[in-house]
Amino acid sequence: MDDILNTGNVPYVSEASVSVEIETEDMTLNIGPQHPSTHGVLRLVAKVDGEKISSVEPVLGYMHRGYEKLAEVRTYPQITTLVNRIDWVSGFANEIPFIAATEKLMEIEAPERAKHIRLILTEMARIASHFVFNGAYALEIGALTPIFLAMEDRERILDLIESVTGGRFHPNFNRIGGVKPAAGSGPTTKKNVQDLPAGFYQETRDAMEKVLEAVERMEDLVGGNEVFKARTKGVGIISKELAEEYGVSGPILRASGVKFDLRTQTDFLPYDKFEYEIPVGENGDCYDRWYVRLLEMRESAKIILQAIDSMPSGPLQTKVPKVIKVPKGRSYVRTENPKGEMGYYVISEGGLGPYRLKIRTPSFSNISILPVLLEGQLLPDLIAIMGSLDFVLGDVDR
Amino acid sequence: MNLSSNAEFIESISTKFSSVENEFDTLKIKVKPEEWVETAKILKEEFQLTYFSWLSAIDWENEVSVGDPPKESVSPHFEIVFCLSESIEGNVVLVSTEIEKEDAMIPSLIEVFAGSNWHEREAYEMFGIEFNNHPNLTKMYLPDDYEGNPMLKSFELISREVKPWPGEVDVEGMPENGSKEDN
Repeated sequence: MDDILNTGNVPYVSEASVSVEIETEDMTLNIGPQHPSTHGVLRLVAKVDGEKISSVEPVLGYMHRGYEKLAEVRTYPQITTLVNRIDWVSGFANEIPFIAATEKLMEIEAPERAKHIRLILTEMARIASHFVFNGAYALEIGALTPIFLAMEDRERILDLIESVTGGRFHPNFNRIGGVKPAAGSGPTTKKNVQDLPAGFYQETRDAMEKVLEAVERMEDLVGGNEVFKARTKGVGIISKELAEEYGVSGPILRASGVKFDLRTQTDFLPYDKFEYEIPVGENGDCYDRWYVRLLEMRESAKIILQAIDSMPSGPLQTKVPKVIKVPKGRSYVRTENPKGEMGYYVISEGGLGPYRLKIRTPSFSNISILPVLLEGQLLPDLIAIMGSLDFVLGDVDR
Repeated sequence: MNLSSNAEFIESISTKFSSVENEFDTLKIKVKPEEWVETAKILKEEFQLTYFSWLSAIDWENEVSVGDPPKESVSPHFEIVFCLSESIEGNVVLVSTEIEKEDAMIPSLIEVFAGSNWHEREAYEMFGIEFNNHPNLTKMYLPDDYEGNPMLKSFELISREVKPWPGEVDVEGMPENGSKEDN
């Protein structure tokens, strides 16, 4: 734009003194905390020079619930209830690393069947979370239809999660040493425990077929849209080095070309038994971040179908004492949450609850890159960039 | 095969640093506060631990207002921990140091890992630890006029004062005036 102005000014040499750029004061623009595209209550204080953003300062804390402090006055089984409210879009996936860290300290291991059920539900939570992203992101870019399709598709997944755990968003299904017998599973006397609801396998197969179809449709509908491409391709590029330095993880890091997926490094969920690919982007722009998540849904569906077919039989719980006391020690366990690296650093002093619980959430680190990323961008791109980071405020503030 | 179970990596770390613990597959290096930034630099440049995961602190105190005190008596101090990782094989290292509670102060890691910015701000407001050379050491979550550092063990949860936990009855009584007025 500067060029056009300057060339326009060239003929009028006599007015040269007037064409000196007048330095105007930056305007402060408050975005949020009640803006729909902030996915909750994130507030951005942006300094803008016309359409151009000169600096952005995110203001957090509107959703701060103090879970790290609260965990210090709760027992281990009670904390499971808390942690699945951190990222409410994928509640189940938040429980896993905490349970795994505790099990590690107690030196117990969940039975194979429980591990498979955990894996299936984690992947379902991933699909549900990515459906929300796919719908909401297209909406932010300006397409209204995808969110309706995505929400309908997600509901099928939530129904499945509900049929097993009894909750759509907050399953609270994991127990230290296994999983709890499913909701509505008939008599829960020890001899006759029925773990998964009747017809679960077939319903899952049907639902996964639908997921694969939905991914296909989304790829055409959103990915093939010229406006969507124009708004996202080459916008908000995050380099490998920058992403790693800021601790950006998950699909965002992979979209920048780093093949880093913690699922390949877990020993408490049997991911090594299944075949799946890790989608990696090339450019690290908004489009890649959207596309990586879309492809991940397809891989997750594949994992679930394989897990259903190779489901081992056996108990759901290993033997644990009635009152759970965790021996003195520390462990850090992290897993691949739908949004990135989710980790719990449990410091136990041998009591009923942890002495200190550090919760490492993906969204907090992911959006810490915003001030760097948004500097010098255009205001309309702010929404596109912010949306592509796919954060949940509960996950940011904890 | 979780976390730092790569034998070669553990050995190379152990030869470089003197006090390395491996507890439940979690590799922890203990350093002095003076070596804080230097350690981060070495790990980033020599061991390719380029991924900054998190930084936080632990308040070690014998007299606590929340939870249970440590089993064995400890000398009161802050422990600061940061976690680095490598993005190909996923090796993880925790680095920890101990500082005095009086005038708690530690150099900021920002010059090595810019991503430590927010994590340090969080530790500053929750524990009251000063990070030297931090460009913007302000509160992260809490209101500006908030007093106190909530994550300290001496900081009591107000709900505990009002209602003991575990309470006998968790459900509160119905309001006396009836709910019609509200509608």
